[in-house]
Amino acid sequence: MRRVTEAVLLVALMAVVAMAQAGGPSVEMAPTAVTPVLRGKPSPVELDFRVKQGFHINSNHPNSPYLIPTVLKLDAPTDIAIGKVDYPAGRNLTFAFAPDEKLNVYSGDFAVKVTVHPLHTATPGKYNVRGQLRYQACDDRACYPPRNLAVHFEVQVKKPAAGARPNRQSPHVHS
Amino acid sequence: MPDSMHNEVKQFEEPVRPAGQNQAPQQTETSPAAYSPHARRNAAVIIVVVVAVAAMLIGGQYLAHRGERSGTITAGGPKPGAAAPDFTLQSLDGKTVRLTDFRGKAVLLNFWATWCEPCKLEMPWFVELQKQYGPQGLEVLGVAMDDSGKEAVAKFAKDMGVNYPVLLGKESVGDEYGGLEYLPTSFYIDRDGKVVARVFGLRSRSDIEDWIKEALSRGSRVAGKESSQQPGVGKFETSN
Repeated sequence: MRRVTEAVLLVALMAVVAMAQAGGPSVEMAPTAVTPVLRGKPSPVELDFRVKQGFHINSNHPNSPYLIPTVLKLDAPTDIAIGKVDYPAGRNLTFAFAPDEKLNVYSGDFAVKVTVHPLHTATPGKYNVRGQLRYQACDDRACYPPRNLAVHFEVQVKKPAAGARPNRQSPHVHS
Repeated sequence: MPDSMHNEVKQFEEPVRPAGQNQAPQQTETSPAAYSPHARRNAAVIIVVVVAVAAMLIGGQYLAHRGERSGTITAGGPKPGAAAPDFTLQSLDGKTVRLTDFRGKAVLLNFWATWCEPCKLEMPWFVELQKQYGPQGLEVLGVAMDDSGKEAVAKFAKDMGVNYPVLLGKESVGDEYGGLEYLPTSFYIDRDGKVVARVFGLRSRSDIEDWIKEALSRGSRVAGKESSQQPGVGKFETSN
């Protein structure tokens, strides 16, 4: 009887997961391992996202001022500066609902590169960086209100090798 | 920093497949006890549950798809036959507009937003259909569910040549109409204020015209609400 109960629970759980996945549009972020970064040196971190099949989201530079761009906003912890955020170029696509326009969109997988700059004051160790990816999705017949995806990654700040020159861009270096 | 210090792209986890597709055959019981009535009953229960859940999933998907194609129900909001929730909203020209102001007319209540590209495709159709069916008692009402402000909505509507009232939407009104999970969403409301059809997403112009005709044909006319009469329509019918 225990096996039957387990089987029923398993199937019910699978059904719930499957139904949840059949819902509206979604963008998910791939799990990112802890990125090692050197103190005082800007380092790129790549964040990978996936747009659910059948949907697209506006790129960071949509072709119309009315469209809502995809934007990543990060809250840097103390002693970590977030530098340039590089968005990929979108693809210019024509959809049935806008046959005369090309919309610049992301679909499938795309990556956003973030420059992480641990300051010289950063204590070596692990730091959490959190933020949100704001996007607005559509399928071929409808558009969905803007949504925010929670973004999280970790960096491991390490000391630079002994004898390495300090980064002159640091606000803590006064020459 | 050397490349080796960078993290590589991580693998996305494979989606869980619907129930029934990744169920490995249960072959664990090989002793004679596996064939006991008790074991057979357990196996039967498992099979029944798996088949039932699979049928529910497949059926649900089918019904959702069918509902979308027929322009009926896939999301919340008042169902056909139910009274359309009344609201009070401001129009772009500063007037206070209530849905009940249009009792006696058929109303195409269209929720849209400036960021909604499919909504743009419908707007010229609505302009034409308002011209065509306005004399028979149609009123198109656009409700902008936008955060971009009145000026942006007004500019957009002007650029699109909108000739019907555009109202500035509120979340509370959206909630009354099912939460508006996606746009465009339109409700076709008859002359008595009852919902004839609710439509989620972009549809063809001919479908829209059919729903307009249906809305015009139902409910009771109110004198002075339209300038022409058509034989055979508006015979105090009510939605079912």
